[in-house]
Amino acid sequence: MHEGNRARRVGLGAFSIAAAVALTITGCTASEPSASDDAGAAGGALVVGVTSDPDTLFPWKATQFQAVNVLQNIYGTLTEFDEELNVVPGLAESWEVSDDGLTVTFHLRNGVTYADGSTFGSEDVKYSLEAIQDEATAAVAATSLASVTAVDAPDENTVVLTLSAPDAALPANLAVVNLAILSSDDTEEALNTTPNGTGPFMFDERSASQSITLAKNESYWGEAAKLDTVEFRVIPDESSIVSAMQAGNVQLAVFDDPVVAQTAEGGNVTVESTPQLSYHVLQLNATRGDLQDVNVRLALQCAIDRQEVLDTAALGEGEVTGPITSPAYRSDPSSRPCPERDLDKAAEYLEKAGKSGGVTIKTIVSQGEYSTSVNEAQNLKAQAAEAGITLEIEVLESGAYVDRWIAADFDAAVALNGGRPDPDGMYGRYFTSTGNLNAVAGYSSPELDALFAEGKQSSDPDERKAIYEQVSDHLEDNAAWIWLFTSYTYTATAADVQGFTPMANGSLQYLRTTSVN
Amino acid sequence: MLRRILAAIATLLGVAVFVFIMLRAIPGDQITAGLGTEAAALTPDQRQALEAYYGLDQPLIVQFFSWLGNIFTGNLGFSSRAQESVLALTAQSLPVTLELAIFSIVLALALGIPLGMLSASKPDAPRDAFGQLVGLAGLSIPAFLLATTLLAVLASSFGFNPNGQGYAYFFDDPWLNLQQMLLPSLVLGFGIAAPIMRTTRTAVLEIRSNDFIRTAKAKGVPPRRLQAKHVLGNALVPIVTMTGLQFGYLLGGAVVVEQIFSLPGIGRQVLLGIQQKEYALVQSTVLIIALSFVIVNLLTDLLYRVIDPRVRAA
Amino acid sequence: MSEITQSAGIAPGGGRTLERLGLLVRSRSGLVGLILIVALSALSLLSAFGLLPYDPITQDPPSRLQPPSAEHWFGTDQFGRDVFSRVAAGVANSALISLVAVAFATVIGTLAGVIAGFYRGISDGVISGVTNVLFAFPPLLLALSLASVFERNWFTIAVAIAIVYVPIFIRVTRGPVLSLREIEYVKAATSTGQTRAMIMLRHVLPNITSIIIVQVTLSLSWAVLTEAALSFLGLGTPPPAPSLGSMIFEARTLVSIAPWTMIAPGVVIVLLVVGLNLLGDGLRDALDPRNRGRK
Repeated sequence: MHEGNRARRVGLGAFSIAAAVALTITGCTASEPSASDDAGAAGGALVVGVTSDPDTLFPWKATQFQAVNVLQNIYGTLTEFDEELNVVPGLAESWEVSDDGLTVTFHLRNGVTYADGSTFGSEDVKYSLEAIQDEATAAVAATSLASVTAVDAPDENTVVLTLSAPDAALPANLAVVNLAILSSDDTEEALNTTPNGTGPFMFDERSASQSITLAKNESYWGEAAKLDTVEFRVIPDESSIVSAMQAGNVQLAVFDDPVVAQTAEGGNVTVESTPQLSYHVLQLNATRGDLQDVNVRLALQCAIDRQEVLDTAALGEGEVTGPITSPAYRSDPSSRPCPERDLDKAAEYLEKAGKSGGVTIKTIVSQGEYSTSVNEAQNLKAQAAEAGITLEIEVLESGAYVDRWIAADFDAAVALNGGRPDPDGMYGRYFTSTGNLNAVAGYSSPELDALFAEGKQSSDPDERKAIYEQVSDHLEDNAAWIWLFTSYTYTATAADVQGFTPMANGSLQYLRTTSVN
Repeated sequence: MLRRILAAIATLLGVAVFVFIMLRAIPGDQITAGLGTEAAALTPDQRQALEAYYGLDQPLIVQFFSWLGNIFTGNLGFSSRAQESVLALTAQSLPVTLELAIFSIVLALALGIPLGMLSASKPDAPRDAFGQLVGLAGLSIPAFLLATTLLAVLASSFGFNPNGQGYAYFFDDPWLNLQQMLLPSLVLGFGIAAPIMRTTRTAVLEIRSNDFIRTAKAKGVPPRRLQAKHVLGNALVPIVTMTGLQFGYLLGGAVVVEQIFSLPGIGRQVLLGIQQKEYALVQSTVLIIALSFVIVNLLTDLLYRVIDPRVRAA
Repeated sequence: MSEITQSAGIAPGGGRTLERLGLLVRSRSGLVGLILIVALSALSLLSAFGLLPYDPITQDPPSRLQPPSAEHWFGTDQFGRDVFSRVAAGVANSALISLVAVAFATVIGTLAGVIAGFYRGISDGVISGVTNVLFAFPPLLLALSLASVFERNWFTIAVAIAIVYVPIFIRVTRGPVLSLREIEYVKAATSTGQTRAMIMLRHVLPNITSIIIVQVTLSLSWAVLTEAALSFLGLGTPPPAPSLGSMIFEARTLVSIAPWTMIAPGVVIVLLVVGLNLLGDGLRDALDPRNRGRK
């Protein structure tokens, strides 16, 4: 621990997501969501309809939506998100940051046990964080700990992280299941078949590609889950899930497609829509061809009416968006050179670029990953054509699309990218020149590098908000990408399901407060 | 017979090579299939660690022969997604598809043979037209169309959807299992009834015009006995051929119906394997399907010898 | 096989075509099939010549999910697209893919089958081996894997389906060619010094055309169903271009609130396959030498 560390203690503000670096929150009741209405002692067995089986049960390698959703209920993390995506205590009861921002001290919760009965302690945290950093582990969130140079466990209940530079995004980064704290006695091999975590549910049984069942963890450190069991039942066809809900076999399902949600509604099934952090975007590769010229990119921005894309491809189910989608930092969608479609301006920009004759942009789009992709591409193509810009659309199988995307082998890509609550976590890896996805993002600038560095150092919420507003404006002014819209997920529940709260990051963590009567 | 077995082994070897090459021609590997675009964030060392984990770091030729060699020791590979051996997975999924195939074939025979004989009993009469129409419907209505319509209508109008409950293996819950098999085998059986009906009809008509039946008639064999013993007996050969063909086809061809009715069969195992790029899983499963196909063909041949008087004589 | 040997002596000349057509039309099923196929071809021609009432791809969200009306004969889908126009374009698409697939399969399969049957030896061993391998492969899974190998468009789908059907053509041609080879006049032609290629062209091919024609119509109907099943599994014609299979796939979630989105493509695909089957039956009757004497 650093000498003369003086932790500031500040109350939990309204916009505190990433500011939590400077915050110390005490009391485990702080993490209890308001959604925990007391609907009675009802427990019961809930069946969730899902289209696929988790592709892994090892939390550090799980990126598939379904795997993350299951594992999130089994494993614990140092910090957690509440329903508004504020960072709240998890396995760490509180934490403080030294004045120079280079030391973060976590005070761990007492009396936490793993599902197998072993006790949780600081050596588990040290083991986990160090293993995640080890490249041989191939943990997907290793870069979230890039700023961490040392993990120390001075005593059973304290963990001290030493950072190479201040990192205001760290607490938010620690809240995802890819940074789950595993027992130091466990191995990847063992956990692949028998998950063992500190979450509100325990792994019960699995029948590969058919179902996976979780049971209530009686010794959970927080308020115990209401449900006795949750079964994630694999029903590969979405419309068959709807049929299963209508017949009363399945009580909860989350759909992406508004049309499917619409057919599910009615009878004893209600559907709730939740805006998502993930965003639909036309990624541009500003390192290639005509797109190197900012004027060409701006011309494209001016040629596109985001609302029209949303209306035609996604039935208007969503909201037009700027770069940052998390509620606390949301970009003003109209803060860009062309807030509305403006073909004259588009022509001007093209002329400035010396491309009045038009440009051709090779655009990749995946088929099958999400339902709106090809329709978006078609509409974008139609709109751009009116401005003299030709989008040459290449529809690819998801495997081929991923290969091309990873290799940054495209001029433009129609994409649906995941969002994160903290803007640094969301875009730092794309738009800083050293970011591990910068090649794919295709754009960086010294100004952005400076802004992102500033954002990581600042611990003041308002200051950070101002910084990321500049980031957002810089991205739009330079038309790094063409951000389009965010959409909803649709949570269908049977009438007897109570207490579930859907979240903007798609998490099913509030299964812990859910009950079935 | 020995020659046929040798030929079958050569065929299986060909299937092994073919499926191995084709899988690797599909863009992406197990790493990108699992991580999606997140795979772009992997460092070279991480990527290497994952390639070693999935066995993708070996040269292709080594991958092929270690897979093939393992098969002879009974090791069909391991599915990291399911965390089970391919053998164990197939031991669960193959019986599901076999059960489905058997039920479908039984239903198809129960529908197709009587219908074919009815049609043939009086060509060009209304009953023939009826039989032909049913057969035509079976040939022409796509299984997935029938399946989705049945499922949606029965579930939304009658709340009947046994397939929405988790799959019940026959020995765990026979009653639920039979309910879950009902709709899918009806759908498949209806489709297969068509070729069986047509085969029956043609065979019966053909045999009836044959000399020995005319002779039997002239000799005064009662028509009912004639129909049962001589006509059907001789029509059995083409019917058995057709049934064997359809059965073999069902082993891999039921995938759409398995998907719609959430049956954890072998077709879905392959489909999932292709999506997840689980090479060993797909290779071994396809090989097992091909093996079953070859065995069914051999059995059909053997059956010929039993039922066809001409082959027996030869 | 025996019927081939019988008919092998009769070299079918061009003058018989009319007679055959007459036989086809006289057989009831052939006539119905012909009418269905002509009608559906007309429908797909509407799309080919841009004579559809609406563009099958342009979306019109305000008028989505409308039931059939005078304006939209078959109603509209979830994006407000006219279902009639999409069905017509879908028929054209399905027909194009199936035709190209079967054309490939016919040419390659027949050629390979004739070579294997006529030359025997190594070529026969190789070709029959490949045929056995392809046959042992589950057809839908084969098409599915092939369809994911290539960049997806209508042509690659057609090729994937073609590969599945090649072995069928090899098998139906190889056997008859094998027996033709032993026929006296073919042997005679060989001894009079005609080249093998000429013998194949003059004597062998004409004798197997009727088998091939029947196989083509049947394969067409299977190809339509295979393309639809592929679309149903998400590996067929890429959207937004309509295909009958993908329309049914999209409509399966809508069937309870907008049944017309399912009924229109469903009925049309059934009619298309029925038509092809009936046509196949009719052709078989018309081309079968044993039927020539009959009514």
